[in-house]
Amino acid sequence: MSVSQAATRPLWLPPQSRRLRAGLSSLGAVLLSLVVGGVLVLIAGGEPVSAYGALIDGAFGSPYAIGQMLVLAVPLLIMGLGLALAFRGRVYNVGAEGQLFMGALAGGVVAIFLPVAFDPLLIAASIFAGMAAGAAWGGIVGVLRARWGVNEVITSLLLNFVAILIFTYCVRRPLRAPGSPDLQGRSIDPNAALPVLPDLAVHVGVFLAIALVPLAAYLMARTPFGMRVRMLGFNAEAARAAGVSSRRMVMALMLISGGLAGLAGVLQTLGVSERLDLGISQGYGFTAIVVALLGRLNATGVLLAAVFIAVLQSGGQAMSVTEGLPYAIVLAIPGVFVVFLLIADRLARG
Amino acid sequence: MDWGEIFGPGALVVLLSSSVAFAMPTALAAVGETVVERAGILNLGVEGMLLSGALASFLVAYYAKSVALGALAGIAIGVGLGALMAFLSVTLGTEQIINGIAIVLLAQGITAFTFEELFGGEEQPTIGGIADVDIPLLHEIPGVGPVLFEQNVLFYISVALAIAVALLLTRTRFGLSVRAVGESPAAADAAAVSVARTRWLALLIGGGMAGMGGAVLVLGQLNLFETNVSAGRGWIAVALVIFGRWNPLLVLGGAFVFGFTDALQIRVQAVSGGIASTVPTEIFAALPYVVTLIVMVAATVWAGRDAQPGALGAPFRKGVSA
Repeated sequence: MSVSQAATRPLWLPPQSRRLRAGLSSLGAVLLSLVVGGVLVLIAGGEPVSAYGALIDGAFGSPYAIGQMLVLAVPLLIMGLGLALAFRGRVYNVGAEGQLFMGALAGGVVAIFLPVAFDPLLIAASIFAGMAAGAAWGGIVGVLRARWGVNEVITSLLLNFVAILIFTYCVRRPLRAPGSPDLQGRSIDPNAALPVLPDLAVHVGVFLAIALVPLAAYLMARTPFGMRVRMLGFNAEAARAAGVSSRRMVMALMLISGGLAGLAGVLQTLGVSERLDLGISQGYGFTAIVVALLGRLNATGVLLAAVFIAVLQSGGQAMSVTEGLPYAIVLAIPGVFVVFLLIADRLARG
Repeated sequence: MDWGEIFGPGALVVLLSSSVAFAMPTALAAVGETVVERAGILNLGVEGMLLSGALASFLVAYYAKSVALGALAGIAIGVGLGALMAFLSVTLGTEQIINGIAIVLLAQGITAFTFEELFGGEEQPTIGGIADVDIPLLHEIPGVGPVLFEQNVLFYISVALAIAVALLLTRTRFGLSVRAVGESPAAADAAAVSVARTRWLALLIGGGMAGMGGAVLVLGQLNLFETNVSAGRGWIAVALVIFGRWNPLLVLGGAFVFGFTDALQIRVQAVSGGIASTVPTEIFAALPYVVTLIVMVAATVWAGRDAQPGALGAPFRKGVSA
């Protein structure tokens, strides 16, 4: 950090409180976004206070509501962790949506056709296939960037469309549910369905997602790999001079973030839809970008951010029904959010 | 399915003329993005600017019943988002890639909200199309005439605008400043060219062009708006800049490759017979994205990245060396 940057730091913030500042700016952006959400509610002819009340009730009002919120948090958390790691190393993977669908497709195919009667083995095989497919789809982007320097943002984004079209073709033709008149993919083998917790109605994938949080934190903070990621993020040139292979790191980060998106896709298939279903993601791969950024690219932060966004969207769904408001209000907030976050963040840095 | 309906002698002219028409929204955005990138800013918000331009132009054309006002509204919202991108990337100097993604997410959220709030639960609203104008004499040229000179007025304006902006970049003093701040901002600064001002202007132009692209898509071709109607055209525009080696005229040419694949997939969908079709329409639908990816990668692999502006993506702060 240069002298001039240190000199322009606001005096009211002691230099030690980087984390505090980051937290405060996140909080500031959250509050501002909630105000904007309230304005959108007003525009739509609703009443902000009762709308937010309905939202909280919709996310926490009953064990089932909490469960629905958690079910939504699972893919956001898993993908958010992978993206946070990749973004830390300045690998801007915006292809999680496509990687999720490739994971759902491969994992789903295994869960439909693999003749294994032993549930844990079938589930494990399906999850493995999904992660591998997500990683492979992300790996295409990784190779293009690592080998030829092709901008990963554009390639990963364009591959989203391709992945979704491949998935659409599969559920329309070869993997269509027999006799189904519309775009309905085949059901998975009932043995492959993830066990569901009573009352909450949450599939057990939620434990896997939560377990990934300390794992990601450990990877980032305590391993040589995490060290290299942080070095690349801080100063790519210096990292290369210190012997970090940026090609290998780009590849690794695309494989990991792609694999995690694939995992999210499989869990949606085995735990939520229990069939090949285009509806398993409502743009979660993009929402996960917001989650990663809001969570400051930090594992614990991503956990909080995933739950926050899940409360917003899951509760928002309930709110839109009880208050008669367009659900799109909830979809509008994350975008508003990121912009506030960038500004708040920059101002906090001074 | 009858392929003669797409490639037959009579149908081919229709296919090619809709190819050039469908190239225009992307072409406008891509030429605008070329200016922005030549100024050293990697603007990944093009998709959001195009989408917002599409909605704004649709709403104005729908309520005010004026195509001209609609197009202006599209440009205006694009310029507005260009200003937001400039504020974040130039004034605040935050990471450009993230800023661009943020603008796309913002635009997707706000347009979905606005459209659903106004038309949610109603029948798909449409606006009237605009009539084609035959250019005297030129439209009688066999083959070329019906493809290029029997288009609507927005098409002609788009072509003129794209070429004008291309010339602005390559042939004017302002264009020289743009290229200077993109290649070496410190040197440009030393030569008394304001880096911040030049980059701001470039982003206003780029935003306006993307917004106009959205307007042309809606007013000139689709005559309707739906959620995420831009369908990645903004991202394709960014890819085309790479494919066109940051040369605005090559970029414009690349847009026609995309336009052809886009027109082709729309024709295939139209004649294939919907979800019962045995034709893998999805392969054709994926074609614009796949072809764009391939040509972009090929351009990078074979031609290297030497055409890329030297300071692309790097924020500039006066007095702080990079």
